[in-house]
Amino acid sequence: MRADAPDLDGGIGIAEPRERGDLWRFSHEAMHTVFEVYASHPDERYAAQAAQAAFALVDRLEGDLSRFRSNSDITRVNQLTAGESARVGEAALECLLIARHLYDVTDGAFDVAIGTGLPSLEIDADDFLIRATAGGVRVDLGGIGKGYAVDLMAELLEEWGVERAFVHGGFSSAVALETPAACDGWPLTLSDPREPSRVFSRLSMRQTALSASGVRKGDHILDPRTRTPVRGRLAAWVALPRPGTAASGHEGFRLAPAAVADGLTTAFMLLGVDRIAALCARSPGLEAWILPDGVSACAADLLHFNGRATPGDDDGGRGRQAK
Amino acid sequence: MADEDDKRNSRVPAVSGAPPKLGRRDLLMGLSTVPALGLFGYAWNRQQQYRRGREAAAAATPAAAAGLQEINVALLGAGAQGQVLMEAMLRIPGLRFRAVCDIWTEYNLRRVVNTLKRFKQEPNGYADYREMLDKEKELDAVIVATPDFWHARHATDALKAGKHVYCEKEMSNTLEGARSMVLAQRETGKLLQIGHQRRSNPRYIHCYQKLLGEAKLLGRIVTVNGQWNRAVAPDLGAPDRYAIPEATLKQYGFKDMHQFRNWRWYKGLGGGPIVDLGSHQIDIYNWFLGAPPSGVMASGGLLYYDPKTHEWHDTVMVMYDYDTPVGPAKAYYQTQTTNGSQGYYESFMGDQGTLLISESELNYAGQLYRDPNAPAWDEWIQKGYVSAPKEQEAKEQTGSGAIADVRESVAPDQHTVPVSLRDPYHQPHLQNFFDTIRGKATLNCPAEIGYESAVSVLKVNEAIEAKSRLSFKPEDFKV
Repeated sequence: MRADAPDLDGGIGIAEPRERGDLWRFSHEAMHTVFEVYASHPDERYAAQAAQAAFALVDRLEGDLSRFRSNSDITRVNQLTAGESARVGEAALECLLIARHLYDVTDGAFDVAIGTGLPSLEIDADDFLIRATAGGVRVDLGGIGKGYAVDLMAELLEEWGVERAFVHGGFSSAVALETPAACDGWPLTLSDPREPSRVFSRLSMRQTALSASGVRKGDHILDPRTRTPVRGRLAAWVALPRPGTAASGHEGFRLAPAAVADGLTTAFMLLGVDRIAALCARSPGLEAWILPDGVSACAADLLHFNGRATPGDDDGGRGRQAK
Repeated sequence: MADEDDKRNSRVPAVSGAPPKLGRRDLLMGLSTVPALGLFGYAWNRQQQYRRGREAAAAATPAAAAGLQEINVALLGAGAQGQVLMEAMLRIPGLRFRAVCDIWTEYNLRRVVNTLKRFKQEPNGYADYREMLDKEKELDAVIVATPDFWHARHATDALKAGKHVYCEKEMSNTLEGARSMVLAQRETGKLLQIGHQRRSNPRYIHCYQKLLGEAKLLGRIVTVNGQWNRAVAPDLGAPDRYAIPEATLKQYGFKDMHQFRNWRWYKGLGGGPIVDLGSHQIDIYNWFLGAPPSGVMASGGLLYYDPKTHEWHDTVMVMYDYDTPVGPAKAYYQTQTTNGSQGYYESFMGDQGTLLISESELNYAGQLYRDPNAPAWDEWIQKGYVSAPKEQEAKEQTGSGAIADVRESVAPDQHTVPVSLRDPYHQPHLQNFFDTIRGKATLNCPAEIGYESAVSVLKVNEAIEAKSRLSFKPEDFKV
C-alpha cells in the first residue's frame, strides 16, 4: 500500500511528497465519500492499525450523525415536534453547537437546516439535550460532518503516536498534522473545480485544517436564506490552524477546526467579499481563497484573504490576488 | 457588516456567571483562547438563559423528576462494545453510573470515565472487578461487556454479590460457563439478561408478533437463509504508549497485547466470527421458528488469515434442521470475513411469502414479498402491519363485466416492515432490562433463552471439527 499521488478532483489536492520512504496511504468508504489517511511511519502494520481505528471512528460518527440512519441522533432531532427534546451524544452535540454558531456568525449563510428554522433548536450543552421550540426543523450535517470526522481522526492518530499524517474526507475536508521528516509541510494544491488539472495555488501545510467547497459544471449551491441558486462563485477554500493540545483536551468540548472550516467554505460561496475580508481580518490564522465565476477564471482571479494581516494594516486583510 | 460582528462579540463578555476554567460548561471561553476560533464564540448567551430556565424548572434529579427509581449501574468491560452500551445507556433516563471496570486503565477506562463525567456522572474506576463488587455496595446492576471467556465468572460473581446482570452475548465461550450462569441466576433470584439485542428491537418484535404471529403472512416457514459478511480488516492494534503491562495481561488470561485486542480469534477466549456475528442471527432463527434446531452440519476453516494470530475459522457455512411446531424446516447461515458484499440479514421463506430483515434498516428496509397466489394483504395494510404497495396490482374491474383491464405491465407488489428503530441499537434491550428491574416488564432474553442460543451456536464449531451432522436432543437446551 505504498502511497501514490491520487488524482486531483478539484477541492484540495495532495502533490507528491518529496520523500516517499515511509509514507503509507489507507482508504475507507464512509459518509458517501472516501476517507484517507496518509501516514509517515516506520511500521506499516502499526500505521494500518491506527488508520483502521480512525476509520472505525468515522463509521461510528456516521451512525450518530447521518440523517439517513433511522436511529441516529440527528434523525431523532429531525423528528422533534414543538416542545419535545432529544438526548444526544457528544458528536451530535458538538456538531450542532458548531453549526449553530456558524449560522449566527454568517447570518444564516451557513445553515445545516437549510431554511427550516435552526434557531428553533435549543441546545442544552450541560445535559446534552436538544429541545425544539417548533417542529419541522430538518438538520443535515453534510456541511460539517466530514470536517468533524477528520478532526477526530487527527486526534486519534496523535493518540496513537502517528503524528506525521495527513487526513482527508473526499478531498474537501482535510487536516495536515506533522509532516514527513524531509518536508516542511504537506504539499497541497488548490485547483479549478471544473478542470482539476489547472492548479491555482500550491500550499505547504502543517497543523492546519483546510476545507473546500466548489461547483462543478452543471452543479449549483442553494442560498439557504433565499432558496435560490448562488451565482458568482466557483469555489472557496478555508484554512484554520489546529489548536494546540493545551486548548483542546478531554475536559472541555472539542475545538474542531476542520468542521469550522467546512462550514465557512459553504458560507464563503455566498457571503460578500467585504464580509469575508472582515471575518478574516478579525481572525488571526483564518485564511480563505475565493474563485469568482467568470469565463476565464484563472489563478490570477483567485482572491486570497489572510487573517494574519497585522492590525492597522491598510486593507485589513481585504482580498488580494494570489501571487 | 463588521459592526454586526462587533456587536455579537461584545455580547460575550457581558454574560454573567462565566465559569472560571475551561470546562465542559465553557465551550465559548475555551474557543476564545484560540485566536482563529475565538472569533466564533458560540451562542453562549442563549444557552445560558436556557440552562438557567431548566435549572429553575428541574431542581430535582432527572430520575426523580420523571418519577423513576434511580438505578445504580456499573460497566464491567469498557472496550468497543462496552462503549456502545454506555452510549445507549446515556440516552436512558434514571441511571446512575457508580463504577467502570477495565484492565486497560490507561486507555479505555480513562476514556469511558471521562466521557461519563462530561455527562455529569461520577463513576469510580477499577481495574479489578472483585474490588469493584466489594467496594460498590450501592450497585443495583452490572453490565458485563468483557471478552467471552470472562462472562461466566463476571456474571456469576456479580449475581452472587446480589446484583442484576446484563451480559453481552455470547453468554460464554463454553457450555459449562453458560450453564453456571443459568444456575447462578436461579440460585440468586436476580435478573440475568443476555445481550441478544434484536429481541427488543421494535422492528423484530413487530415481525414476530404481528406479521408471523397474528397475520401469518409467510404461511408456513420452510426455509431460512442469512449471513453476515465482512470485508478484510487488519488485526486490531493499540496505541504503543498505552500498552498494558505484561504481568497484568497474564493475570487476566492474555498472552500479549495482540491477543488482548484480538481475543475473538483465539480458542479458549472467543469463538470466532460464527459466534461473534452468527450468534445474533441464529438466535433470531430460533425465535421466529419457535424452536431450537434439531441438527447441524457445518463447514468452516481458516482460509485467509494468518494462523499464527487467528485460531478460529474465518469462513463458516452452516445448515440447521428444525422441527418447528408447524413442521420441519431448514436454515442456512454463513459468515465470512473476506468480502462484505450484502452485509448482514436474515430471510424467512414461507409458502405464502418472504421476509427479508436486518438490524441495518439502512441496507435492508425489511422487504416483504407476497406469493401471488397467497391471500391478499389488504387487511394488514389497513391495520398498518405492512406498508402499502407503491402501485396497486391489476385487479378485476368490478362491475365492468371484463376479466381484466389490459394496460402497461404492472410491477408486483412491494411491501416493507413499517416499524423503525429510532434509538441506538442496544437501547431498547437495555431499557427492557432496567424496566424489568423496576418491575414494569419481563426480560426479553433471560438466561434460559440465551442458553438455547449458546447451545445452537457453539455446536457449530463442534460440527466443523466432527465433519458430520450432529444431533441436538431437547434436553441439550435445558439446564
